[in-house]
Amino acid sequence: MTVSKHLTRTLVAAAAALLVWHAPAEAAPKKEFKLAWSIYVGWMPWQWAADHGIVDKWAKKYGIKIDVVQFNDYVESINQFTAGGFDALTATNMDTLSIPSVGGVDTTAVIVGDFSNGNDAVILKDKKALTDIKGQKVNLVQFSVSHYLLARALESIGSSEKDVDVVNTSDADMVAAWATPDVTSVVTWNPIVAEIMGTPAANKVFDSSQIPGEIIDLTVANTETLKDNPDFGKALAGIWYETMAAMSAKTPDGAAAREAMGKASGTDLAGYEAQLAATRMFYKPDEAASFAKSAEIGATMDHVRTFLFDHGLMGDGAASADVVGIELADGKVLGDKANVKFRFTDTYMAAAAAGKL
Amino acid sequence: MSVLSIADVWKEYGEHVVLEGISLEIAERSFVALVGPSGCGKSTFLKMLLSEERPSRGSILLDGAPLAAEPEAGRGVVFQRYSVFPHLTALGNVMLGLEIGASRFWGKLWGARRRAAAEEARALLEAVGLAEATDKYPAQLSGGMQQRLALAQALATKPRVLLLDEPFGALDPGIRAEIHQLMKRLWHERPLTVVMVTHDMSEAFTLATRVIAFERRRNEPSDGGRYGATITQDIPVWPPRVAGQVTGLFESPGRDDPAPVAGTSRDDLALQGVRA
Amino acid sequence: MRLINRRPEAGFGRLLMIVPFVLVVLTYLIASAARLAENPADKLLPSPASMMAAVTRMAFEADKRTGDFLLWVDTSASLGRILAALAIATAISLVLGIAIGLLPYLRSLAGGFVAVISVVPPLALLPILFIVLGLGETSKIALIVIGIAPFMTRDLALRVSELPPQQIIKAQTLGASSWQLVLRVVLPQLLPRLIDGLRLSLGPAWLFLIAAEAIASESGLGFRIFLVRRYLAMDVIIPYVIWITLLAFLMDRLLVLLQARAFPWFAGARATA
Repeated sequence: MTVSKHLTRTLVAAAAALLVWHAPAEAAPKKEFKLAWSIYVGWMPWQWAADHGIVDKWAKKYGIKIDVVQFNDYVESINQFTAGGFDALTATNMDTLSIPSVGGVDTTAVIVGDFSNGNDAVILKDKKALTDIKGQKVNLVQFSVSHYLLARALESIGSSEKDVDVVNTSDADMVAAWATPDVTSVVTWNPIVAEIMGTPAANKVFDSSQIPGEIIDLTVANTETLKDNPDFGKALAGIWYETMAAMSAKTPDGAAAREAMGKASGTDLAGYEAQLAATRMFYKPDEAASFAKSAEIGATMDHVRTFLFDHGLMGDGAASADVVGIELADGKVLGDKANVKFRFTDTYMAAAAAGKL
Repeated sequence: MSVLSIADVWKEYGEHVVLEGISLEIAERSFVALVGPSGCGKSTFLKMLLSEERPSRGSILLDGAPLAAEPEAGRGVVFQRYSVFPHLTALGNVMLGLEIGASRFWGKLWGARRRAAAEEARALLEAVGLAEATDKYPAQLSGGMQQRLALAQALATKPRVLLLDEPFGALDPGIRAEIHQLMKRLWHERPLTVVMVTHDMSEAFTLATRVIAFERRRNEPSDGGRYGATITQDIPVWPPRVAGQVTGLFESPGRDDPAPVAGTSRDDLALQGVRA
Repeated sequence: MRLINRRPEAGFGRLLMIVPFVLVVLTYLIASAARLAENPADKLLPSPASMMAAVTRMAFEADKRTGDFLLWVDTSASLGRILAALAIATAISLVLGIAIGLLPYLRSLAGGFVAVISVVPPLALLPILFIVLGLGETSKIALIVIGIAPFMTRDLALRVSELPPQQIIKAQTLGASSWQLVLRVVLPQLLPRLIDGLRLSLGPAWLFLIAAEAIASESGLGFRIFLVRRYLAMDVIIPYVIWITLLAFLMDRLLVLLQARAFPWFAGARATA
């Protein structure tokens, strides 16, 4: 079971941190970088790129080395990034804000990879309408994007979290939990959604396509590292869009890439393509760059930070959601301008679009 | 009439014969000591009297009826060690048998019946010289006191036969002499028939009315255990002791000293066998 | 003088005992101060002040959303689960342990089975537990029971078989039936040994409790740790870990005390056995 592993990892991380606490003080240009990623439909390209020499190719071009490390546990990868063990990370916009940014680690979204367009869903057993969720126990990973989706779903029917009981449930056990009679509603993500929807009594009553563009999957990097080593950001973008082009190609090679990614995430080509269909992938850098610059991002981050503040996740002493500043791609700042810890930028995606990498 | 009648008893473990053709009549109120070298089967024989083991052949009758197949209240026992229960006080140990007999479900008495049982147990403890130790746990008692306690505990249920398996073998000589006195007194005062296994010749002749030696007639390695031990000597102790009739001569402490005892050369051999 | 013969004086020995604790605290303080100097918002090694603030918030201030005092709600939920599980495991292991240790038929029937069951990793069977028992309290308590009862049963069966056979024979010559033998000879001697087994089971019991609470829960010490881990709130996690350690340590001490008080004969009997 992963629980003791979590504890051990947290302890090991703490011990490692004790040993290397002075490391960030050295600001000398780095040559070696580490990216932490975990299994999710929109992040599978990283492993494929590493396996097919794309990572090394771009790293060599900029004279650096990039290590791509897979985590079985998503939250642990974020914690490791926050503790300073990694330079880059795959994470959602919400988790980036709540963990590294609130934790004082200035973080920049280098690549806006996709947004969830149905991959996250509210599922009820037997009942068919979202309003039926009132008064139920809802099993979900608390403080995750599922929790956010639930809050947005309840908002859409003019109710709030007070009308339900949230039960924190590990994603690893969600399918087993669904099979028990006392679990009647869950909020979760793919591939668990697909698994649960495969059972007879499951009804999807709300999903992320109803809040498009709000659950965004990013590749982020430590802002300071990025400022000192802009080549690292460029290399990341170069790797990403070469991989995007390869996997989106309507050719046998493209299908082979998608099949490999599907297999690596525990499904097959059809399963992976079904997940891709519920994901708005930005295959082209210009699309990603324009989404990153759009006003929607500002509105989304305002929703997200309000949600986090309401759940006490913006820091304990926080008087309002303004405590952590979020800089948007056009330079506008949400919240405290003197404490900007989360930055959106189209720099690297635009450079990729312009072929200037 | 005999309390115990043993007729042609054999004990075999597969090919290995431990005892062969044992026949013995044990009279009411006698004190029989079983002696012999190590491995001669005297302890196995006692285990059969206890029903801890069963004979392969032959019969053992208690008051004319075949022995029950498992240990029972009529046959009390004192072992060399672990005879008393560490979790009970001296009083509790002696009361245990009384409580078990009187309370079939709980094995425990309360109120007036408990007080009566405690009175009886106290009297027994006094008889074995443990009046001062009633509330002590066995771990707080010396080895000699523990064996006194074991005697009192066994006597509480008034067994028909008392079986002793080297009960005093682990005690220091001085302590042993004292406890021999006690043993003799108890045998004189109570309606007891005793069978005792010992490897101490002096002890056998100090206490018993009759000493029985077990030995293998043939004990060559080439025999491969095909010949078991049998009774080689059956010596009535002289002058005869009669239960209840205490004579000054036999009560003198000097007899209990481990001085050489008049006996046949066989006994010396047996003694050497044990000590070797 | 050989090292093995050098002994600290009584007072110095006590001083030595606290040295590792002081070292750990000092190391933490230095590392924490260094990380906080780099990044005042660092969450990995929070300062004692922010941990105190977290403790105050969790223990003495009502939660904004639920109005509960979270630390106490969590503690009573966890203690309720672990005590229920320990009680059930104790009852099961006493009955089974005595039966297996004493009755040859049951030993043949169940001895091997319990030996095998006691090495099954219960966490791997959680999905089955959920489906059979649901996600509520039952499955959490069951996980702990399944985690520790087979071990305790084996331990007790072994303790029964370690009772000197003379005692069993002796009790029979006093007229005891099998039931009386259990009630008056075996059970009372097993209870203090059961406490030994319970003490050894406390560690695994807490582990299984926290694992169970991490998977699906609304309250509990393990639940809180895994919940706030979601945003790396070590300022809550570290005091919670210290609190759990303290609770486990106190339970252990209480058992030792109970053993000494309730079974005054046991220390002597153990020393002479």
